[in-house]
Amino acid sequence: MKGNMILLLPVVLPVLMGAIALGGKGFRGNRPLLLGVVFTGLAGGLLSTLLAVTGEAKLRLWQLTESVEIGFQLDGVGRFFAVLTVVVWFLAGLYSVTYMTHEEDESRFFGFYLIVLGVLIGLDFSGNLITFYVFYEMMTLTSLPLVLHERSKEAVSAGLKYLFYSVAGAFLALFGIFFFTAVLGDLTFVPGGVAEAASFRGKEGVLLTAVFCMVVGFGAKAGMFPLHGWLPTAHPVAPAPASAVLSGVITKSGVLALIRVVFFIVGPEQIRGTWVQQAWIFLSLLTVFMGSMLAYKEPVMKKRLAYSTVSQVSYILFGLSLLEPTAFVGALSHVVFHSLVKNALFLTAGAVIFQTGWRKVEQMRGLGRVMPVTLGCYTAASLSLVGIPPASGFISKWYLAQGALSSGCGAWTWIGPVILLTSALLTAGYLLPLTINGFFPGGDFDGRELEERKLLGKEPSWQMLLPVLLLSAGAVIFGCFPGPLLRMLSEIAETVL
Amino acid sequence: MLVQNFPFFSIVLAMFSGILSSVLNGKQARNVSLGVIGSTIIMSAAVFFWCLGNGESYTYMMGHFPAPWGNEIRAGVLEGLTALLFSVIMLLSVLGGMRHTFEDVEPSKVNLFFIMIDLMLSSLLALIYTNDLFTAYVFVEINTIAGCGLIMIRQKGRSFSAAIRYMIMSQLGSGLFLIGLTLLYDVTGHLLMSPAKETVASIEAAGRYEIPMLVILAVISVGLAIKSGLYPFHSWIPYTYGYATPTASAILSGLVSKGYIFLLMKIFYRVLGQENVIASRMVNVLFLFGLAGMIMGSVHAILEEDTRRMIAYSSVAQIGYIYMGIGLGTESGMVAAVFHMFTHSATKALLFISAVGLYEVSGEKKDFRSLRGAGYRNRLAGVGFTVGALSMVGFPMLSGFISKLLFATSALQSPHKMMLTLIGLAVSTVLNAIYFLRLVITLYGRAEQVAVKGKQRCSFVFGGAIVCFILLNLFLGLMSQPVVRAITEGLEMFD
Amino acid sequence: MASHLLYNIEETVAMILFGIGFTMLLLHRNLIRKIMGMNIMDTAVYLFLAAKGYIKGRMVPIVTDGILDASAYMNPVPSGLVLTGIVVSVSTTALMLALTIRLYERYHSLDLDQILIQVKKEEGS
Repeated sequence: MKGNMILLLPVVLPVLMGAIALGGKGFRGNRPLLLGVVFTGLAGGLLSTLLAVTGEAKLRLWQLTESVEIGFQLDGVGRFFAVLTVVVWFLAGLYSVTYMTHEEDESRFFGFYLIVLGVLIGLDFSGNLITFYVFYEMMTLTSLPLVLHERSKEAVSAGLKYLFYSVAGAFLALFGIFFFTAVLGDLTFVPGGVAEAASFRGKEGVLLTAVFCMVVGFGAKAGMFPLHGWLPTAHPVAPAPASAVLSGVITKSGVLALIRVVFFIVGPEQIRGTWVQQAWIFLSLLTVFMGSMLAYKEPVMKKRLAYSTVSQVSYILFGLSLLEPTAFVGALSHVVFHSLVKNALFLTAGAVIFQTGWRKVEQMRGLGRVMPVTLGCYTAASLSLVGIPPASGFISKWYLAQGALSSGCGAWTWIGPVILLTSALLTAGYLLPLTINGFFPGGDFDGRELEERKLLGKEPSWQMLLPVLLLSAGAVIFGCFPGPLLRMLSEIAETVL
Repeated sequence: MLVQNFPFFSIVLAMFSGILSSVLNGKQARNVSLGVIGSTIIMSAAVFFWCLGNGESYTYMMGHFPAPWGNEIRAGVLEGLTALLFSVIMLLSVLGGMRHTFEDVEPSKVNLFFIMIDLMLSSLLALIYTNDLFTAYVFVEINTIAGCGLIMIRQKGRSFSAAIRYMIMSQLGSGLFLIGLTLLYDVTGHLLMSPAKETVASIEAAGRYEIPMLVILAVISVGLAIKSGLYPFHSWIPYTYGYATPTASAILSGLVSKGYIFLLMKIFYRVLGQENVIASRMVNVLFLFGLAGMIMGSVHAILEEDTRRMIAYSSVAQIGYIYMGIGLGTESGMVAAVFHMFTHSATKALLFISAVGLYEVSGEKKDFRSLRGAGYRNRLAGVGFTVGALSMVGFPMLSGFISKLLFATSALQSPHKMMLTLIGLAVSTVLNAIYFLRLVITLYGRAEQVAVKGKQRCSFVFGGAIVCFILLNLFLGLMSQPVVRAITEGLEMFD
Repeated sequence: MASHLLYNIEETVAMILFGIGFTMLLLHRNLIRKIMGMNIMDTAVYLFLAAKGYIKGRMVPIVTDGILDASAYMNPVPSGLVLTGIVVSVSTTALMLALTIRLYERYHSLDLDQILIQVKKEEGS
C-alpha cells in the first residue's frame, strides 16, 4: 500500500459501519443505537469524502496479478461523482429514518445501504479499469439486498431480474476489459484515453466490437436500450429511499463507467465517426423517446418515475455519445440535476405511500390538501426535470442541444434536439398531471373521503420533508446559479476532449 | 536433506495410518487421520518452500535401482504446491463434514471411512509426486477403490448404485490408461518419466511411430478424461457427488478429479512432451470437449432441481474450463488451467460443505426451493455458500475471477481459439450466474413454511472449516500473484 | 499388412481381447458380464505385456546355473508389471463383486438398468 491513505477512509468507514449494523444482534429493539451507527457511517462518509476530494491523491492497494493493480486515483470526474453520491446518500438516509419504521428488517436495510455507499465511493475513486470493475460488481451485489428488501415473491423476481441484467451487462463489458488488458496491459485512467492509435493497428474491428460491448454492457446499469428492462421492475419494489438512490445514483454509475471507458481508456478519437458512435447515439435517443412514452402510459407512480429514469439517463448518454465538449458539460450537469430531481420525486412518491398508501397516480387526486409542501416540492422538481427556465433541467438540455448542433454528426445534429424536445413535452405530460390534479382536483372532487381518513394537512415528519425540500431546492437553485458547476465541468471536458 | 524425504514419507505415512486405523475405533481413526493430514500439510509446505527457495526440482530414488530401472519420486514447486493445497482442502473437508460423517456412517464402520480417507490422501500424494508411469497406474486404482469406498460407506440403495456406476466408468478409464502406458512402454522401453521422455524425443526427431504415438496420446488422454469426468463422459458425476456423505462429495469433486488432471498434465509435460501434444490435434479435441462441457454442464445444472446434483453438474462445467485451458495449448493456458484446478478444488469443497449446513436447517429435502430462508437459519453456511457461488460465477476479489481473467488473457494469445474461448467463457459465466445466483437468492428468500428445525447453532469445527475455506478463496482471489508465479515456475521445472 | 498382424499374433489377439472386454464393460447391462468384461480387458493387457517381455530363445530370468550375462535372460520387468496388475485387478474385481452382491440382495436383479429404475422408485416413494 502506497499513497494517501485518506482515500481509503470514505470507502472503509461506511462499509465498516454497515457491517456493524448488519452483524450486531443488539440492534433489534434498540433503534437509537442502530441509527447512531448508521449516522456515524453516513456523516463519516460525507466528511471523509469532502476531506479526501480536496487534495490530489493516489493510493496503490495491492497487485491483483502481475499486470493488474488495485488502486485509487482522484480526478475531476471522480470528485464530482463522489461528492454528488455522498450528499444524496446522506439526504436519503435521513429520509429513511422515518420511512423505514413501516418496513421490517431495518438493520439489514441500513447495513447494506451503508455498504453500497462505501462501494460507490470506491467506484468513484478507482484509478484503473480493473479496480473500477471490482467495485462495479460489488455495487451490483451489495445493492441487491435493497431491491430484495421485502422478500416477497415479487421482490425476489425483481431482484433476480436486476441481477441478471446487471450480470449480463457486466460480463459483456468484461469482454472489453479482457481485450484491453491484453492489448494495453496497463489500464490506468488517463484523461483523453491511454490508447494510442498505433497499439490497435490491425485490430480495429475487435476494438470497435469491444467498445460496443462495453457500451451496451455498462449501458445496462444506466438503463439504456436493449438492457433497460430491469429498471421499471426493480425500482418500484424497493423501499422508497432505496429506489431513490437506485434511480438517482446507481444508474449514474453506468454513466461513470462509460465516461471512464470512452474518455479515459479508449479515447474519444478512436470511435469518433465510427459505427459504434452512430449505434450509441441511436440507442440513447431511442431510449430517451421510448422511456418517455412508456412513462406517459404508466399508471403506477413509482414505475412511472422508473421509466422516466430510463429516459432521462439516456439524455446523459446521448450527451456523452456526441463526443463534443459542450454536450459533455450538458451531460455531466444533467447527472447532477437528474440525481437531485429523481431523488426528490421518488422520495415524494415514498412519502405519499407512507402517509396514505396510494400507489397509482389516479388515486392521488387532491393530494395538495394532504401534503401541500411535499407536493410543492414535487412540482418544483418536476418543472426542473421538464426543463422550464430558470430551473436546472433547462441548463443541461440547452447544453445538450447546443452540443448536438455543433457536433457535426450528420443527421443527428437535428434529430437529436428534436427528440430531446419531444421527450421534454412528454416529461411534462407524465409528471405535471399529478400537480394539476393534486392542487386543483376539480369541482366534482369530493374531499370528504380525505376528511374521513383524517388525511388533511398530514405532512410527513421533518426527517422526510427536509431531504425532499433540500433536493428540490437544490434542483432549482443550481438552475439559477449554474456558473461554478458549469465552469468546473468545462475544465473536466477540456482535459478529456 | 531431510526435506527431500518428505514426499515419500508423507505417502507412506498416510498409507500406514490406513492400515493402523483398521484396528482402531472410529474416534481414534479420526484422530489418526487428522494427524496425518496435518503432518502432510506441514511436509508439503516444507517441500514447496524448499523447492521454491532452491529454484529446482529433485528426484528421489526408491529402493536400490538407479534411474532407468528403479522407481522414483519427483518433487518440484508445482508438486509441492498441489500437495499442500490438496491436503489443506482435504483437512477442511474432513473437518467440515465431520458431524455428518458420524451420522451417516454406521458406528462400527467409521474407522473404515477414515481408512478410505487415508488411502485417498496417500494415493493423491502418490499421483502428484510419482515419476513412474506404472506406479501412477497402481495409485490410480487405489484412488478409485478408496473413492468407491467413500461413496458406498453411506450404505443406502442410492450409494451402492452410485458406487457401481463410478466403478464401471473408472474401470473404463483406467483400462484405457493402462493400455496407453503399456503401448508407451512398448514403444519406448521405459516406465520412468524422464528416460521415457528422452526416447520419445528421439522417436519424434526420427519421425517414426507417428500413429502409435498418436494412439498412445489419445488413449491416455481419453482414459484420464473419463476418470476426471470431462463432458461426454460425465454421466456418473451427479450420481456420485450428489449422494455421498458431504466429506466424500467434497473430496471426490474437489480433489480426486483434479488428481487425474494433474497426472495428465504431468504426462503431457514430462513424458510425451508438451510440444508434441500441441502438434498433434489432441489438444483441439480436449479444447472442444472442454468448451462443450462448460456449456452443457451449466445447462444441466440449470435444469436440475436437486441442490447437490446442481453443484455436481457445475463440476462438469468447471472441469470443462480446466480442459479448455489445457486445450489452448499455450503456456499461459496451462497456468490458467492449473490455477482453475486450485480454484475449483477450494470452491467446490466449500460449496458441498456449506450446502450441508444449509440442508440440516431445512429438513434435508432435495429440492433447492426447500432451502428458502436457510441463509438466515444457518448464517455462516449461508455466507460460505454465497462466497463459493460468487467465486464460481466469477465475481471480482474471489478466486474464480482470477482464473477467468487468466483464461481470457491466455486465449488472446492463441488467435484461432480466441473468439471461441471468449464466447464460451461469456456464455458459461452467464449460465453459471443463472443457477448459482438463483440458489443464493433462494437462500435469502422468505421461508414460506415455518422453519423446519428452527435456528441451529453450527458447531465450532464446522464454522472454523467454513471460515478457513472462505479465507482460502479470498487468498486465491486477492493474492493470486505469488501462486501464479509458483505455477509458472513449477511448469517450467517440468521440462 | 496381414503378415504383420500374423507376425505379432500375441499383440493382435491382445488388442482384440481388449476391445471385447472394453465393449462388454461399457455396453452390457448385466453386472456380472460387465465384471467379466473388465477382467478380459485387464487380461488382454497382461497378455500384451507378457508378449513384450518374452524374447525367443532366452531363459526365464532366474539365476540357476550360474550364468550372470543379462543377454541370456528375457526381460523381467513386464512380468513384474503383470504380477502387480493382477493384484490390482483382483482387488477391483473383488470390490465390484461385493458391490454386486449388495445390490442383488437389495434389488434382486443383476441388470443395472433395472436396478437404477428401482432406485429411482425407492427415492420417489
